[in-house]
Amino acid sequence: MPSSYDAFFAEIEAALSADAVNRSAETLQRYAENTMPGGDRLPAGVVYPGSTAEVQVIVRAANKHAVPLYPISTGNNIGLGSRSASRPGQVVVDLGRNMSSILAVDERLGFAVVEPGVSYQAMYDELVRRGDKLMLDVTSGPPQGGMIGNAMDKGAGYTPYFDHFGFACGMEVVLGNGDVLRTGDGVLDSSELVNWHTSKYSFGPILDGLFTQSNYGIVTRMGMWLLPRAPAIRSFHFAFPEDDDLAEVIELCRPLKLSNFVPTLFRVSNDLYLCGSEGESPEYRASGGKRAISDAGRRVLREKTGVGAWTVSGAFYGPSAAAIEPQIARVVDHFTRSGKAKYIAHDEAANIPPLQVAINAFSGIPSLGELGLLKWRPGGGNIWFLPGTPMDGKLANEFQRLCRTIYEEHGLDYTVMNVCGPRFARGLHVITFNREDADERARADACYRKMSEEVARRGVFVGRAPLDYHDFHMAQAMPAFRNVCAAIKRAIDPNGVLAPGRYGIG
Amino acid sequence: MRTSFSPTQLADPEIAEANGILETCVHYGFCTNTCPTYVLTRDENDSPRGRIDLIRAMLERGGVPEAKTVHHLDRCLSCLSCMTTCAVKVDYAHLIDRARAHIERHYRRPWADRFVRLALAKLLPHPRRFAAALRVGRAARPLAGLLPRRWQVLTDMIPAASNQRPHLLAPGVCAPEGPRRRRVALLAGCAQQALDGAINAATVRLLTRHGCEVVIAQGAGCCGSLTLHMGREASARAWAVANVQAWTRVQADGGLDAIVVNASGCGTTVKDYGHLLARDPDWAEPARRVAALARDVSEVVADIGLAAPAKPVTYRVAYHDPCSMQHGQRVTREPRDLLRAAGFQVVDVPEGHFCCGSAGTYNLLQPDMAAALGRRKAAHIAGVDPDVVATGNIGCMMQLRRHLAVPLVHTVELLDWATGGPRPPALANVSLRTRAPPVAAGDSPGASGSAGGDIGFW
Repeated sequence: MPSSYDAFFAEIEAALSADAVNRSAETLQRYAENTMPGGDRLPAGVVYPGSTAEVQVIVRAANKHAVPLYPISTGNNIGLGSRSASRPGQVVVDLGRNMSSILAVDERLGFAVVEPGVSYQAMYDELVRRGDKLMLDVTSGPPQGGMIGNAMDKGAGYTPYFDHFGFACGMEVVLGNGDVLRTGDGVLDSSELVNWHTSKYSFGPILDGLFTQSNYGIVTRMGMWLLPRAPAIRSFHFAFPEDDDLAEVIELCRPLKLSNFVPTLFRVSNDLYLCGSEGESPEYRASGGKRAISDAGRRVLREKTGVGAWTVSGAFYGPSAAAIEPQIARVVDHFTRSGKAKYIAHDEAANIPPLQVAINAFSGIPSLGELGLLKWRPGGGNIWFLPGTPMDGKLANEFQRLCRTIYEEHGLDYTVMNVCGPRFARGLHVITFNREDADERARADACYRKMSEEVARRGVFVGRAPLDYHDFHMAQAMPAFRNVCAAIKRAIDPNGVLAPGRYGIG
Repeated sequence: MRTSFSPTQLADPEIAEANGILETCVHYGFCTNTCPTYVLTRDENDSPRGRIDLIRAMLERGGVPEAKTVHHLDRCLSCLSCMTTCAVKVDYAHLIDRARAHIERHYRRPWADRFVRLALAKLLPHPRRFAAALRVGRAARPLAGLLPRRWQVLTDMIPAASNQRPHLLAPGVCAPEGPRRRRVALLAGCAQQALDGAINAATVRLLTRHGCEVVIAQGAGCCGSLTLHMGREASARAWAVANVQAWTRVQADGGLDAIVVNASGCGTTVKDYGHLLARDPDWAEPARRVAALARDVSEVVADIGLAAPAKPVTYRVAYHDPCSMQHGQRVTREPRDLLRAAGFQVVDVPEGHFCCGSAGTYNLLQPDMAAALGRRKAAHIAGVDPDVVATGNIGCMMQLRRHLAVPLVHTVELLDWATGGPRPPALANVSLRTRAPPVAAGDSPGASGSAGGDIGFW
């Protein structure tokens, strides 16, 4: 059936309002923009629903007129796609504009219920207004990033509630046919839902996961669990001097997480991940962006910023700084035993901007500092390569050497933070490049693909992916997985109106 | 962002500067969600990113700007929230100033607009004229209904006589209490003196109590920001030169440790004199020296260290960050630390990065947008249930007083009171709630400094 965009938009304007549709050239250009090497993707229009019922109207109209939709929350998914649709010609459903209410905060049970437009900053502000008694886990990315969007893309933070999908509880989802589904305990056919946002596991299969990194539904409401804020939060940091010290770092972090002695995840950042947020590469202009920064240049930056080739950060929560001090002392002893690590105490770290970013992250405070990484090279190009490694020092260091070499072969700067849990570390690899330089753009693209292929050859897949690489990664998946994803798509979005192509589905 | 200025255009240093700024924007769009006007209107052209594009088109084309462009640029608050958010640090402040100067030179506004802008430019920077105008305006208020709406807005903004405490500081030197620890010049300011003389009085008491010799320089006056942000660059530069001259004389005659500014809107401009006068062959270097000496009053007192409080003041203070302080000067910690050191319980205001709608003359020229922002900010402040609101900019104080029932004072008035000065006039006849002394702060970086509350194990 041929798409009928004019009829679709007319129907939305009639059912919602004229303000609910925007097709102006300047708006479309903005929504087209992203930071990918592959270029912008011009949408056919933007629609702004104000409620779940209005989302249903839009989805039903899309089915009727064969118009592909692309829902976004706040559109701050920089490095992974921004607000850009999977394919040109899709209609962006901007949920962030008019669906940005905090529907509930239960201070006794420790959860909030939010709409897609609620950002980390807005939630944080609301919790502060209520007396700062509860803490939201935040990313170290844009404070205006959306809680629902991040959780649905399997984003994460650093506190004990780091797993944003894992600590989400109870969703409301508009399916591809326009029906509304509740998940978790919300599946009970009742208007009184006592446990919707307190129990993830209820009768029947757990459907929530279907809506992560997929295109099976539009999540319009979600519960998110909140942690009581401790009176004292004290961080600790250790700087290691050599690139290959990563092996030791991982071995040191693992037991502290397996035992849960340290409640936060570890941020294990390389020098450029920390120094890179402080300004443009000092060697970029000289090489015209053709070469990676030199080892000598990195050393200068490390000394200037006061960090190591690798810097480990973590934190404790407690009733007071004094009560936490013995735990810090044990960690200091643990990390400094080999003689390589330099300890950076909380108060000293608070004066080192990239480490203050870590303190904010452990404290559930949204902050902007890490966005400075985007300025490391001019031109606005940015993609994130997100594989992972088991918490095995030797293996992690092999991956480090592999990826560092591939970055350097492509004239790019190896920039990574390993976010370490007990058994697994996600490697947040930042590829910052000049998007206005065709050669550099091509090198960034080739670098991403080469790393993906090489780690896959060693049995490692990515955890999230930039928009340009959804089909590429789906092709790396086993056929049965691809078939199941396609079959689910056909079952609950038979006309394929929801974000066709997102994460390589449909 | 790619631009297409001609070589002839780029030979103009002002266009060259604008071009350099424009080229840094890569359209990430982080700025949009923290821009107050975009959040209210959701119009791309009311966002920094949209305005940057409009400015590019306007300057590339040259000549008379389109009315649409002027409309959207006029709606910019210059709050600089976008600059705090911007990942690539686009110098929006100087770009929007350049755009405003272009509009002022090339665009003919309707006569009523021109008249209002001229009146503001000729009255506000002169405290005596402004004080007289306020008296006339107050007397004319009963007739406000007969005035055109533009003028009704202005008469509405005139504070009640009971809320106005004009007091003009005369040039001279105020001796320190005890040994001299610093010699500082205080920018006495312009509109602030006509509106609330208690601020300067408290500042002088606070500084002299902390060992500062305070000089009110002969010949110093308005900082120039009011006219600068209306695009009247020549006027702004003239004010700046007068101040640089005055403070350079003071510096030559006994030295200066700092130039103290207690209105953060002015502080942002004085700290930027080096840029404002960069192309003035006579004053560029002195302006850089003056700018390097400029400090917000809270920075100076924090540097000296606050004296021990003279009385218990455990009241709950909502601290409102003026945009010029948090985004313009990046001074956010000092006022809070000082208030806490004085014994107050300091709470942050949600959505703290947002402008209250004051923005210099903005609330006079864009009253509807300003009122919407004022109401929004006031609701957030009321939500944290403070006894008193403290801030560091007279513009915010005047704007918020229109929307808030809670007493509002300058930070220095509270610090002065706590360390031995008189109770701030705005708190006269106000019954404040006694609070328990604050718990030991500093362990948690949480916003309130007294996190934890009564939830859970802690």
